[in-house]
Parts: sequence; structure tokens; C-alpha cells
Amino acid sequence: MAENSERAPARDEDVLSRRTFLAYASVLFGSAIAFVLGSTGLSYFVSPAFMKEDEDWVDVGKASDIRPGSPVKVDFVARKRDAWVVTEKRSSAWISTADGKEFTVFDPRCTHLGCPYRWDQEKQQFLCPCHAGVFAADGIVVSGPPPRPLDRYAVKIAAGRLLIQPMPSRKAA
Amino acid sequence: MLTTAKNWFCERTGFDRVWDALFERRVPEAKGPVSWLFTLGSASMFVFSVQVVTGALLAMNYVPSPDHAYDSVRFIGSSVMFGGFIRGLHHFGASFMVVLVVLHMLRTYFMGAYKYPREGTWIVGVALLLVVIGFGFTGYLLPWDQKAYWATAVGTNIAGQTPFVGSMVSKILKGGAEMGAPTLTRFYALHVLVLPAIVLILMGLHLFLVVWHGISQPPERSRRGGAKGGNHRG
Repeated sequence: MAENSERAPARDEDVLSRRTFLAYASVLFGSAIAFVLGSTGLSYFVSPAFMKEDEDWVDVGKASDIRPGSPVKVDFVARKRDAWVVTEKRSSAWISTADGKEFTVFDPRCTHLGCPYRWDQEKQQFLCPCHAGVFAADGIVVSGPPPRPLDRYAVKIAAGRLLIQPMPSRKAA
Repeated sequence: MLTTAKNWFCERTGFDRVWDALFERRVPEAKGPVSWLFTLGSASMFVFSVQVVTGALLAMNYVPSPDHAYDSVRFIGSSVMFGGFIRGLHHFGASFMVVLVVLHMLRTYFMGAYKYPREGTWIVGVALLLVVIGFGFTGYLLPWDQKAYWATAVGTNIAGQTPFVGSMVSKILKGGAEMGAPTLTRFYALHVLVLPAIVLILMGLHLFLVVWHGISQPPERSRRGGAKGGNHRG
């Protein structure tokens, strides 16, 4: 190809000159390389938008250990995965059930200023010691400054184990 | 329409003349496999640009700290879309880069292309070679795995063998008496801030000199067997 075009420089417009051919080839291969690098690089860059969120279910024990009646405070260690950083945090939650099948899990912090509250067995209410917030057994505000009912955690049962997501979600409340 | 836009742009930037100087300049005629040797510089520059792109992407998920470096690199490979591919490009591109620049230097040396008036290009080129090796040395530590750690231990110990100033050089490299967190941040800063700045300046100079002097003729074999020529302006 190269030899021919040098010996008999074809001026016909039908014939592709060596120079034009190489220009086309450069653009073609350059585009292919740019496409591969560009598309993978862009995917890498925008991938956070498509990543599945970690659900972070925490096993807090056997579901049958939670008896119907009074809410129970459960302590657990939540492993939180933040990309390459894994943190463990001691935490707790109040769990109650009416029938041993449906469970309600409360964030252990008062919705007023985040104080830990306790269960008053006699009054059958949650009492917050800081500013005298009072919640009913279902988390509704009875009296005091709390602006909203107790926050709830998502909960599910898998193979008899109680799994919770210790992140307050207003939706569940 | 397109021509108008192009003219508008070229009149204000002189870009057409820059383009001509870079891509329409006269180059020596070389035939056969030898002509491929003249692509090594452009190839190095291309691989460098790939390193810039992949490196910028990797830096988005990398932490230069002993407690997170290894995990963040593993995170790139396992959890980021095309993370393994991008890291692979950067990893193999780094090796390929060193191979290319060394071949580029050998081509220049054996063709005598470093001679008058192109000594400046050669000197800048040697500096670029050292910077590329610097990139390789500093980048090798960043994954913070066993290989990275011990390779850098060996490298800094070699620096420590320098007469008189050895222990100082070694400590400056390591950011302290022992390898550790300061070593990693130091190597990272060199790898992503200092060396790229230096390499861009030197590359600009190198390219300018290449265009300014033109490319030397490949040497021809004389009747007596020795080489002649090599200094004709292209």
C-alpha cells in the first residue's frame, strides 16, 4: 500500500492516499481507545449513583426471647460499613411486641434532645429523665416537650432471629 | 458554519499554526520497522495521559493512611464499577510507561539523535526518565500490601547506603526514622502532586524542543560500515 502510493501518486479521488488512510485509521483507533477509557472511566465516576445501599441489618437475638407485654431494652453492636471504613458501635433499642409476631423497635433516644429514656412498669409509659418527656407504649407523646413520637427502626424476622436496622427512619414512625 | 466557527477560533488563538507545528511538521523519511521506533515518544505520552485519567479516578477512592490504604484499594477492586479495570490499567500502564521511556531513550542513544543541537532535548529527556522512575517508586508503595511495604523498605535502605548523607536521605524519604504513616502521605503527595507538576513542565519543554529542532535523520550506513549523518534538520 505504502510502496504503491509512493511510486504512482494517485491523484484520483477514488484512491485513498496513504496519508488519508493513516489519518482515518488514527481517528478510528483513537475513538475506540477513547470510547473504552471514557465509558469505563465515566462508569467508575458515576457508579455511586447506582450502588446498592448497604442495608446493615443487625441481629439482636432470637425473636422468641421478646415476650409480649413490657418493652425490652436490647443491647447490641452495630457494624456500620462506610465504603472501606467499618465501624462498630455499641447501641441499644427498645423492642416490644403484642403477639410475638409483629415487633416494634424504638430508637432509644428521646425525640426531644436525644436523652436515653426508660420504661416505667407501673405507669406503662416511657419516661425521659431529662425534661420529663412521656411516651405511651406505642411511642406516642403523652406529655412533655418531645416534638414527635419515638423514632422507629425497621425490623424483620429471618430464621427465628430478630433483625433490625438501627437507623431512625421517619417513614416507619 | 463550521468553517466560520473554526476561523473565528483560529484567528483568536492561532491554533491552526499550533496544529501545523505539531502534526504537519516535516519528519525524516524512515522505512520499514525502523519507522516504528519514532513512535516511542508519542506512545509514552499516550500512556502518560492514560495514567493521568486512571490515576485521578483511583484517587477518588484512595486513602493514603496505613489504617485505610489497603482496604480502600481493595474497595476499588471489589465494589467500584470497573474499579478493577481502572486499577489494572494504572498498574500495567505504569510498567509499560517505564518500558516505553527506556526504549525511547535507547532509540535516541543508538541513533545518535541526542547530538548537537539536540542536547537540551536529551537532558530534559533524562530528567523525564528519572521522574517516571520516581512515579514508579512512589506509586509502588501506595497499595500498602506486603510487596509494597517491603519494596519501599528496600528502596529507602538503598538510599540510606549513600555515603555521608545516606541516613538523612533515608529519613527524608520516609518522613521519619521508621517507615509508617508519614512515609505513605509523603509518597502519595509526591506521586499525585509534586511529580505530575514536574513532569508537565518537563514534557512541555521536551515537546517544544522536539518541534523546535525537528527530528534527526536516522543514521545511514556508510560504505565503510560506520554510521554517518544524523544531524540533518528534518
